[in-house]
This record gives sequence, C-alpha cells and structure tokens, in this order.
Amino acid sequence: MINTTILSWVTFIYFAAFVFYLFRMILGREFWGRLATGAALIGLAAQSAAWIIRWKTSYDLGMGHAPLSNFYESLIFFAWTIVLLYLLMEWRLKNRSIGVFVLPVAFLIMAYASIAPGISNRIEPLIPALQSNWLTSHVLTCFMGYASFTVAFALGIMFLTKSAAGESKNAFIRLMPSEYQMDELMYSSAALGFVFLTLGIATGAVWAHYAWGSYWSWDPKETWSLITWLVYAVMLHTRLVRGWRGRRMAIMTIVGFGCVLFTYLGVNLLPSLHSYM
Amino acid sequence: MSKNKSGIWSFFSSVQLAIVLLSLIAFFALIGTLVPQREAAGELAGRLSPALFSFLQKMQIFDLYHSVWFFLLSGLLAINIIICSLDRLPLAWRRFRMRPAPQNDDAFKNIPDENKFQSASDIQKAADAAAVLLRKKYRNVARTDAPGSVFLCAQKGRFSLFGVYIVHLSFLVLIAGAIIGSVFGIEGYVNIMEGEAVSAIQLRNDNQSLPLPFSVRCDKFSVEFYDSGAPKSFQSALTFLKDKQAVQSGKLLVNHPIVFDGFRFYQASYGAAPGGKATLSLLRSDGRRDVMNVGEGYTFELPGKEGSFQVLRVEENLMKMGPAIKVAVRSEKETVNFWVFQQLEKIKAMNPDIVRQVPMFNPGLFRPYTFTLLGLEEKYYTGLQVNRDPGTPVVGAAAVLLICGLLLVLFSYARQVFIRIDQVKDNVRISVTGRSYKNKPGLEQEVQYLLAQLKDNLEHSK
Ligand code: HEM
Repeated sequence: MINTTILSWVTFIYFAAFVFYLFRMILGREFWGRLATGAALIGLAAQSAAWIIRWKTSYDLGMGHAPLSNFYESLIFFAWTIVLLYLLMEWRLKNRSIGVFVLPVAFLIMAYASIAPGISNRIEPLIPALQSNWLTSHVLTCFMGYASFTVAFALGIMFLTKSAAGESKNAFIRLMPSEYQMDELMYSSAALGFVFLTLGIATGAVWAHYAWGSYWSWDPKETWSLITWLVYAVMLHTRLVRGWRGRRMAIMTIVGFGCVLFTYLGVNLLPSLHSYM
Repeated sequence: MSKNKSGIWSFFSSVQLAIVLLSLIAFFALIGTLVPQREAAGELAGRLSPALFSFLQKMQIFDLYHSVWFFLLSGLLAINIIICSLDRLPLAWRRFRMRPAPQNDDAFKNIPDENKFQSASDIQKAADAAAVLLRKKYRNVARTDAPGSVFLCAQKGRFSLFGVYIVHLSFLVLIAGAIIGSVFGIEGYVNIMEGEAVSAIQLRNDNQSLPLPFSVRCDKFSVEFYDSGAPKSFQSALTFLKDKQAVQSGKLLVNHPIVFDGFRFYQASYGAAPGGKATLSLLRSDGRRDVMNVGEGYTFELPGKEGSFQVLRVEENLMKMGPAIKVAVRSEKETVNFWVFQQLEKIKAMNPDIVRQVPMFNPGLFRPYTFTLLGLEEKYYTGLQVNRDPGTPVVGAAAVLLICGLLLVLFSYARQVFIRIDQVKDNVRISVTGRSYKNKPGLEQEVQYLLAQLKDNLEHSK
C-alpha cells in the first residue's frame, strides 16, 4: 500500500535528519542544522500525508476509522507527535541542538514499526468495542502525553551529557542550551505531558465507562498509566516544593520515560484488555 | 493558623509525606500488576505452600486494589492534602487579596541596567504611552502621579494562585467518588436467551445472585460479521418490564449502554444458546408432505397416526457435517433412532455409501416416512454487564476539576509588573520590573517585551 511505502521513506528521512543534526553538532556549522531542520520538516509533511492517505484508504475499504486503531498505527502516530513537538520547540527556542537527541528516538520508533516481527501494517476493521469516538480522543491525548515525556527524556539525556562533559567545551557541548534553560524545558515538557496524560486517562475512563461498564477496572495497562502519572506527579512536587533541579530532574525524566515505555510496550507481556496496542 | 503547630499537624502538612505516599501508591499498584489478582490468584495456590498462600491471602495481597492497605494509603493521602492545603491557603489568599501600590520604590531598588532606558520624551507622554501598552494585556492598571515621577502597575492571573488547591480538591473528590462506588456500587452480569426474561443478575465479586426490582427481556439478538469472520457489530433488543408491563424498550449495542432504574446495561458478549427450533419436513410414501417446527425434547404424533416421534437432540454442526437433529420414532412394533442432516445431499456426494454403512444416518429408517431437515433457527443468548455506580458522577466531576485546575496551575501565572517614569536631567528614565511566584523566565521575557515596546513607541512618536 502506498501509505506504508511513504512511511518507510519517512523512516530514512528521519535518520538523515538525525545525521545532519549530528554533523551540525560536531562540525559546528549552521548549514547542517538548516539541512537537518529541512529534512525533519519534509519527513513530517510526508508522514502527515501518508497518515491522511491511510485514513482515506480505510474509508475506501469500507471500514472508515482514524488510523489509530492498532499497534502499528499507534507507533506511527507516536513518532509523528514527537517530531511535531520537537519542531515546534526548535522554532520557539531558535535552538537546534535538541534535535540530535530527539530525532533518533523518532527514527527508532518508525524503524521498529516497519521491521519488528509480528506488527501488522494492514488496515484492519474495528471490533465493536473499539468503535467509539472516545477511542480517537483517548489515543490522541495519550500519545501527545507520551511524546512530551519523550522530549523531556531527550532533554534529560542531554542534560546529563552536558554535565558529564564537565569542563570540556567542544562544539557539541557548547551548542547545547544552558543548564538552566534545559532544566526549565524538562519541567515544561513534563508538565505538558502530565496534562495530556491526565486527559488521556480521563478519556480512557469515559470510554471504558461506555464500553465495559466501569470507568476503572485495574487492568494492567490502566494501572501502569496510573503509575506513570504518579511518577510525574512526584516529579512536579519534588521540583516545586523540594526544589529539585537539574541532575535530579534529569533522572526523574528517565525514570518517567521508563514507565511510559512499560505502559506502552511492556504491559503487552501481561494479560490485558488493551493488548491490541 | 496558630503559630505553635503540633507535631501531627506539621507531619501532615509536609510535602515530603505527599511524595512518600504517592510513591508508595505507585509501588503498590506495581506489585498488583505482577502478582495475580482475584480470580487469577487461584493458580498460585497450587505452587505456593498452603501456609504461605493463606498468609498472603490474609494480607490481601491477592486483592491489593481493594485491600485495607490501599484504603489506608488513600486515607493518609486525603488527610495530607487537606492539612497541607489548610496550612497554605491563608498565604495564597493574602497573595490573592494583595493589591500592590503603584508607588513602590522598593520594587525598583536593585533592578539591573537592562531593565531601564532613557528617552528624550516628557514624563506625561511617556506615562500615557506606558498606560496604553499595559491596558492592552492587563485589566487592572493603576497609576500614581508623584512630583517628578509617575508610577504604573498592573497585574493578572491572580486566580492561578488557586489552581493548585483546585487540583488537590479534585483529588479528594476523586477518592470520595471511588469510595462511594466501592461501597454502594454493584457490578454484575447476566445472560439472557432470546425471547426470555430475567429478573436477577449474578454479582461479580461473590458470585451471588441479586434480584432486580424489574425484569429484562431480550426480544431479539443479532450479530453482523466482517468477511474475515470477526464480529462487526452485535446488538440486543431489550424490553424492561415492571409488574409484567413493558416500561421501556431499546436497542443495546457495544459502547451504547442503556440505563434503567439506576442500573446501566452494557452489551458485553453473546453466544449460541442450546435449544433452537428446527424445521422438519415429513414426506409420506403416498406423497403427503407435512412441515413442522420442532424443538428439543418435544414429542409429536406422526401425521398418519402410525406412532409418535421425539426430538432427542438438536446440533448446529454434527461431526462437521452441518446441522442435524436426532429423532426417535416409536410405534407399537418398534422404536428407531436416527439422525436427520440438513445437508444430506452434500454428504452423500462426498461419501455415496454412507447411508448403508451407517444406518443411523438414514432419514428414511422408519417407513413409510422420509424426514428432511429444512433448517435450524439459530438461537443466541446475549451477555450483559449490569452495573450501578453512584460514584461515577462524582468521579466525573473530579476529572473535570482536575483538568481545569491543572490548566490553571501550569498555563497561567500570577504576575505583577511595575513601571516607573522619572526625570533624569533632560531625559525621562523608564524602569520596568515585575514580580511573580512562578515562571521567572516568563516574567523576564515579559519585562523585556514591555521595555522594547515602550522604547519603540517613544522613539516613533517624536
Ligand atoms: C498527599 C497529597 C499531596 C500534597 C500534600 C500535595 C502538596 C502540594 C503542594 C504543597 C504544592 C505546592 C503548592 C504551591 O505552589 O504552593 C503542590 C503542587 C502541586 N500538586 Fe500536589 N500535593 C499532593 C498530591 C497531589 C496529587 C495527587 C496531584 C495530582 C494531580 C498533585 C498535583 C499537584 C500539582 C500539579 C502541583 C503544581 C506543580 C507545579 O506547579 O509545577 N498533588 N502539591
């Protein structure tokens, strides 16, 4: 199908963007930065197009649902949101150095979606329980949250890289934002993610209320999303009230991201209502 | 609040406790996803020693989410939130009430040089320009004219000071809703055959039966499939009866529950029910043909009064050869049993000798009749989830509060800005500063924005 072909190309474009960001950081020339941003933008546009084509195809096949209904589609949307969020951030901050930490994540997710065994990229009909508009809003908000947490995680890694580099001030380190700025950004991304995750859990609860009759049933995926939510709540409190900054925040972003990954992927090892994605 | 706070008060007003409690809840929730819960715990019983198993069971490890531990943690969290909020609310209230005086020299005491500039304008003109600029973004702009200087001040976002309290309040409401649900809520299920009515449900937690103050009838169940064989949609036509009177009826679909008398009905599952009707044709050798609808267990007289026949079994798919029924025909002389297949022609085509090899498959075993199965009427049961949870609206309200509160906390800031305009020799000097309890970089940006705008204004209006 044409949409999956485009999506495999997008995977390579994101990889190229990552390499360009890397060149910029190593060589310190803004030319590579512009190239990288251009590549990321092209990738995002192509991915959006593929997404819309896929949506239309599902209507042509008589199934008619947003491409957010199976594992493959959720991975694609995850990567899309990460790149979108990152590009918005790059544009607001006028700083390209975060890309070298974010783009590889997007690339890996896309690559995983296309080559991991057992992931079907076919457009599939929806079983009755999934035929709900709440599904769309639930998946949308959850993945916005996951993407914000991913960006926070990339910033956390970047922060630790910079503080590990200590006094050495090569181009790679110099081009990074100041530690203060990174700390603020980690906090804002995590806070944004927290709001979206809250919305995601709430819309999921509404959906469960309509589909299964109880808004919360302690299914492992639900429970893990609660754990993730609590971890980020702890993070907000430690920062605001205990004054944790910098290194400790960076570690919290990594712990939080671990929970996100487990909620998303690890839970599939446990039996669950959600095991379809 | 009294200043001499007791030990308990300061224990519960500490945020360390909140962090510890939230982490503990996360930890307990994690254990619950690793240790099998409720019904699933049964399989552990065989693998652990009985003493250990019953100890763990007493400690409610197999029902963590409904255990005393969980209630205890939630209770402590609630107390923590209440005390913590009571402890801090007065401060927030004072900050909320505080109207800064525009003439506030303290605010300008240590401001850096980049927060000031000089311009060859006059004081009144500069002050007017500043007032116009401030009114664009702030509602409350105050101005004081002092000899030789003008002070302006503006503020916004005061309500965001309460965002945190709304978030915390919503969490209390959430806990309350969950407790209401677990104390007064009912979770049950019931299977209803097409055409039948029930007036009791099975409870999920103790598997007891709960009588309903009304009865529910399933008039019809229907299911549609995709080409792949996966179900596309299924629905039940339900009628609710009180004192044998139909009160309400409606279609129940997945994702579209029906509420009746405080109970919510959800379409959960379905299945094939035993006991469907079969349509039989009886051909007598003299050419007389009768068609009748028969059901399992029923006995009918043969049309020619030679005896009677009974339907012993109705099978949807006997030995993968399609629908079949087993009948016993009794006359004064004999009793014969045989199977009547619907797709006998197809079976014979595959295996022409079958009727001779297996006489039981011969539908003409009782002379002078030949039985033919025309079709089975498929009969389904519909599986309904039946719940009553008076806590749901409370939890819903909590979610709305929570989200509104979060938006207030994270995307709106209480902020005050001050502008002073005074005379320095031939120039006017304009100084800008601000105050905020959070988001200092945002405030810094705002101050720089105001400076740039004012500079721009004054230079162009000359
Ligand atoms: C044990 C219970 C809790 C206590 C004692 C507590 C206490 C506090 C305190 C003292 C603050 C700082 C308020 C200020 O700005 O002066 C705060 C902030 C906050 N709390 Fe809690 N909290 C608790 C539970 C929760 C929970 C369960 C949530 C979940 C949504 C939550 C969400 C927040 C948020 C979003 C902030 C603002 C953080 C920020 O501005 O970055 N709190 N909390």
